[in-house]
Amino acid sequence: MTAERFVVVGYDGSADAQSAVTWAAEAAVALGARLRVVHAVGLLEHAGLSGHGEVDGDVACRLAADAGMDRDDVEWLVVDGDPCGALLRTAEPPDSTILLVVGSRGSGAHAGTLLGSTSLELAEHSSIPVTIVPPSPKAG
Amino acid sequence: MTTLVVAGPTGLAEHDGGTYHPEQPSRLFAAMDGVRALGLEDEVVYPPIEEASLAELSRVHAPAYLAELEAFCARGGGDIDPDTYARPDSWTAARRAAGAGLAALAELERRGEGVAFVPVRPPGHHATADRAMGFCLVNNVAVAAASRTALGERVLVVDWDVHHGNGTQAIFWDDPDVLYVSTHQHPLFPGTGRPSEVGGPAAPGLTVNLPLPPGATGDVVRTAIDGMARQSVEEFAPDWVLVSCGFDAHQADPLGELELSSGDFAELARVVAEFAPRPGRLALFLEGGYNPVSIASSVEATLGALLGAGERPPPPTSGGPGLSQLRADRSERLRAIDRVHMEVGP
Repeated sequence: MTAERFVVVGYDGSADAQSAVTWAAEAAVALGARLRVVHAVGLLEHAGLSGHGEVDGDVACRLAADAGMDRDDVEWLVVDGDPCGALLRTAEPPDSTILLVVGSRGSGAHAGTLLGSTSLELAEHSSIPVTIVPPSPKAG
Repeated sequence: MTTLVVAGPTGLAEHDGGTYHPEQPSRLFAAMDGVRALGLEDEVVYPPIEEASLAELSRVHAPAYLAELEAFCARGGGDIDPDTYARPDSWTAARRAAGAGLAALAELERRGEGVAFVPVRPPGHHATADRAMGFCLVNNVAVAAASRTALGERVLVVDWDVHHGNGTQAIFWDDPDVLYVSTHQHPLFPGTGRPSEVGGPAAPGLTVNLPLPPGATGDVVRTAIDGMARQSVEEFAPDWVLVSCGFDAHQADPLGELELSSGDFAELARVVAEFAPRPGRLALFLEGGYNPVSIASSVEATLGALLGAGERPPPPTSGGPGLSQLRADRSERLRAIDRVHMEVGP
């Protein structure tokens, strides 16, 4: 029996994250893998102080379905932690994660600085391949 | 009588994220209300505080990170991540916060007695060597600890903040001169702090994680620190005891779900005081804590227990979950230490 393989994608509700989910879903279909969509909950969001509404997992799952994934092959995970750490922990064995995917900028990162860049930190610390998805032209 | 050294407050007027953000200057006013409630008045010693130098910060932070943080603040700052912000004056505030810890230890050493409290912001224990996160820019307790290990001394860091101090753990992961002991709610931000995280090849067993479920009460935290970690502390024999003294494990805090009273912090303070090798070797660094009322009462209770001052705090709490998990986690921790030893080899 072949062990299940996973593509793991980070999702914070931003336009970049939506592009990343679409790309990750297409990659998962091509690779014959399942998709895990991971939302990391920070300090403020945990306390309901983030200033924005709850991040909607249904949106991410619909994007994955629109990209050709069977809905049963998509998992929505909400994990306490910083985005990079949450993705790395989700990708740990015993499950076989073959690819990590993130958008190039999340909702909190600043252009032109290394501070707070989940994508750069992930690329530095991950032992499995990482894809950083640029903003969709539609997202501007 | 034991002297109270208060290195701070720093960050009363700087690094202001606005009233929406829970990590705000009012936390320090509350902490100082707790100090004043002790009634010690002129007997409190306030040492002069200087900004930590780049050399002092670079013992634990990557120079490239420090340069990036300074430049980011100079450009006006902004949101670093959804939790963490910087303002134009945050670089100065962070250096003063780290410098306050250094001043506290220097004053204790000079006096040869006393207990130090370091009420500063921004807090520090989430900041890693190369990353700001969780409201933290510079790891204040780590800068202080590293200043002592540079002199060949051994430092115990006890972290009872409701959140795991991932930054402190990572900085000293493979350092045989630092023992890091943390109680924290789990799961909760930052997601680290599992019992299987025990330290690197040069320091197996010198990271002690004691995660607790939501609802855990003070008796469980005391059992964790006094019962589960005491043997590690005694074997390590620290020269200094530094406490990452968050008060967000209080039952009234908005960011956590532990159930401690301010009286529980008094009990914990007595335990860590026993870990100190001699007078003048205990310093408590403010980390989290976001309810001004519980900060003030907890500061009074914590320092009051160490100094024999202040009003009698509310009673300690008991009966919450977590004791059976602590026992189960102990086995997981021992297996993880064995794995590290096997990887290192004889």
